[in-house]
Order: sequence, then structure tokens, then C-alpha cells
Amino acid sequence: MAGKLSTTFILRKLHQITGIVPLGIFFGVHMFTNAKAMNGPDVFNKAVEDIHHLPFLLLIEIFGIFLPLAYHSIYGIFITAEARNNVSKYSYGRNWLYFFQRVSGIFLFVFLLFHLLHFRWGLFSAFGLTDIAVAGNADRAFAIVASDFQNAGILIFYVLGVFTTAWHLGYGIYLFAVDWGLVIGEKAQRAALAVCAALAFGLFAAGANAAFSFVRPCGLMPEFLCEQQSESVPAIRSEEF
Amino acid sequence: MSSNSGTKTKARLTDPPKSVRIRVKRREMPDAPQYVETFEIPYRRNLNVISVLMDIRKNPVTADGTETTPPVWDMNCLEQVCGICTMVINGRVRQSCSALIDDILLEAGGNEVVLEPMTKFPNVRDLKVDRSPMFDHLKKVHAWVELDGYHELGPGPHTPQETQQERYAYSRCMTCGCCLEACPQYHDDNYIGPQAIAQVRLFNMHPTGKMNRDERLDAMMDDDGIANCGNSQNCVQVCPMNIPLTRAIYETNREVTLHGLFGWLRK
Repeated sequence: MAGKLSTTFILRKLHQITGIVPLGIFFGVHMFTNAKAMNGPDVFNKAVEDIHHLPFLLLIEIFGIFLPLAYHSIYGIFITAEARNNVSKYSYGRNWLYFFQRVSGIFLFVFLLFHLLHFRWGLFSAFGLTDIAVAGNADRAFAIVASDFQNAGILIFYVLGVFTTAWHLGYGIYLFAVDWGLVIGEKAQRAALAVCAALAFGLFAAGANAAFSFVRPCGLMPEFLCEQQSESVPAIRSEEF
Repeated sequence: MSSNSGTKTKARLTDPPKSVRIRVKRREMPDAPQYVETFEIPYRRNLNVISVLMDIRKNPVTADGTETTPPVWDMNCLEQVCGICTMVINGRVRQSCSALIDDILLEAGGNEVVLEPMTKFPNVRDLKVDRSPMFDHLKKVHAWVELDGYHELGPGPHTPQETQQERYAYSRCMTCGCCLEACPQYHDDNYIGPQAIAQVRLFNMHPTGKMNRDERLDAMMDDDGIANCGNSQNCVQVCPMNIPLTRAIYETNREVTLHGLFGWLRK
């Protein structure tokens, strides 16, 4: 029975696990919660409120999100720095995916830093954004996001962020499957890739629609799919804050 | 890889140029600066990169008329089975003996061929590199079958046809270095690479070689081990012997996960 585990080996395996088990699951839950915005401000605000009442919330945040995220992003930068990208010379599909996994990682580092500073802690208020965190202000959660998403640039940035996260996660699950020896043959690889791409697209669709739900009832979906049909988005007034 | 697919009608260079311009990346000695020299060789049919280099050697004068030293390169079998003449031709790694000038010009257009040494191995001189890192990898992964002695051992154990076929594919490796050159993860010998991992698979599938499995898996879990694979899959694309390198890597991943990572659960 073999047994010598090197530092690099452990760090790599930990990097793959943290990306999927805490962070991937959290991203799924996050998109699901966001999707509640389809059904209007009250439903969304209540969802935020419910999160505030989760047991062990602080521990979940620290050990389920912040620590794994910090590890995954910082070690991810090391992995990215190691790569000697050569897509211009060897422009195979998988090599492009390899390249995009690293590019998306760097983009997500910037995006998530902004996202956390802004919506989690309310510390980023340039570009006319609100300086109030969503976390801790459940009663105004929808209004805060809706106000910021009036800025088309921010909305596009968020849709792009959701897309990149969804793909990074979907392809990351595929990478986990091959790196842990679950998927081996070429046929199985293609099937796994298709499943992961479908998952990524599903998460992206749910997340992007949720983002648009803050500017239009039910987002991009036909309104009969949502609870509130005729009600328009409540006017966003600055005195709400 | 494209040269031996054989089923489609091969495109031919119908209108060959009068001469071929060969740009060679050169270096006097290890660590000396690299420079490029351009040679012009009259075109004739059936040229390959080796015969072009031989033509230059006969008359080492650059295209602008300067006398120079003949470029140095490695060659041996001239039929793409020894791997020693591997170099980067028009930006892509391959064997120079099987690189036909007609095909290269057809693909690139124009009449220029750029020859560079592989970039991931120590450059000895001109197009010659030191491939010994790969042989060190083979030592590290115990890429051989142990024998107790020279006494009669009787017939070896039977292996299923499927195993034989898979092992045969891995046994074709000629340690040319294409996979490592194209691998975006491999540089400064930081990763043991697809070539050695395929040999781990070859010898772990062997009924007697299997006895040293743990030693090989230990090497796989080292700092330069299999975890460095980034799944760009360039290795399997550039492999001139069509070795299923990604299969070898993923099969070995499974072995490492089962016996290396979770092996302690059986203690």
C-alpha cells in the first residue's frame, strides 16, 4: 500500500475538493436563493431573512465559504502562474478549456472580491453604487440590489460573473472526475463533459434570470412562470435607504 | 499523427517553390545566446527536414552569403521510432525525419520552414537538446520489471488480450519528448509528465511488474507527480506514436486515489 503524500499532491487535491464541496454547493444554493427574486421583493427579502436565521451561520460562513474560497483562490493563482499557456501553437479544444479555466479563475478573483466587498460588507460604493450591504439588511435586500442593477454596466458585470462562475464550476467538476480517476475513457470523458456543461448552463440560466429579476418581474422568463404577474418592480427611491 | 491517418486522399504540393528558406534557431553552446540563421536550399522532390539539414551541412552558407558552421542536430533511425530527432518545426513539436517539406509548405503556405530546438529541455547546441530528464523520470517511476536472477522462471502468467493491447500501446513510447514540449504544465522539470505516467501504467499492468506498484505510486504522489497534470490533453494530441496518454494518466489517477489516497483506510 503506497503511502507517501507530498505537499503538492495534498494541496492539489484540497484545491479540487474545496472548489466542489463547499464552494460548488454554496454556489448552487446561492443561485437558488437568488432565483427567488423572480417572485418579487417580498419573497427575496424573506429568503435573505431566512439565511440570517440559519443556525451556526457564522461558522458556516467562515468554514464553508470564506476559508475554502480564500484557499481556492490563492492556490488557484499559484496554479495559474505555473501554466505555460500555448493555445496559439496548440489550439486544441481541451487546451482552450485549460486556458479558459485559468483566465476565468483570475476574472473570478476580481469579481468575487468586488462582490463580497460590495454586497456582503457594503464597503465598495464607487460608480454610484449603494454603500449598504445586503447581508444584515434583509428588509431592504431587494431594493439595494435593484438600485445597483439599474446601472447596466453592473448588471452586465454580474451576468458575466455568473456565467464565468458556472463554467468554472462545471468544468471544475469534470476536472475533478478525471483527476480522481472516476472518468477514464474518451467516451466517458465526452459524456461527463456534456453533463458538466449542462449543469453549468443550468446554473448560469438560473443565475442570469435571477439577476434580471431585479430590473424586470420574473427576469427574462415569461411572467406566467412566476407568482407575481401584473405587479411591476417597486420604484427604487433613494429615501428607502 | 496526421501523416499516417491514410484513409483520406492526401493533398499534394502541386506548385512547389524554386527554393526553400530554412530559418534555424542556433546556439553555440549551453547558456550562450540564441540567434537565427536563414538558409536557402533549392527545392527538390521528397525533401524532409533531415535532408534539408544535410544539404545545409554540405554547404553551410546562409541566404545572405555568409559562411557559417553547419547546424548541429540529432538523428538516428530516420523512421520515427527512435525519437531523437524531435524538434519544433514551424512552431509545433514533431520528429524531423518524418516531417516532409512538401507537407509543411502545404500547411504553412509560402516557402519558409522554421526549425527550433525543443524549449523544455536543456539546449546543448543548435537543434540538439539533452533529453536525460525523461530518462531520470523513468528511473524514478521504476519503469522496469524486477528479476530475481537468471535462473529458469518458467512461462510467464497469462494476460487477457485487452490488457496486452493496452500495454502494447504504452510500450510504443520512444521517449521523444513531444508530450512534455506541448504540455503547458511542464517546465523546469517540475512535473514527471505523461511519458513517465504511461510507463507507470505499462508496468503496473504487467503481472510481475505489478509487484513494484507501490513504489511507482509513491513517485506519482511526489511533488512533481501526477497531481501536476492540468488536463490540457495536448500530450495525446501531439504524440507521434498515438499512445493513449490521457487514458494512462486517468487510469493511474484511479490507482493513486484508491491505493495512495485511500489506501490507509485498509490499514
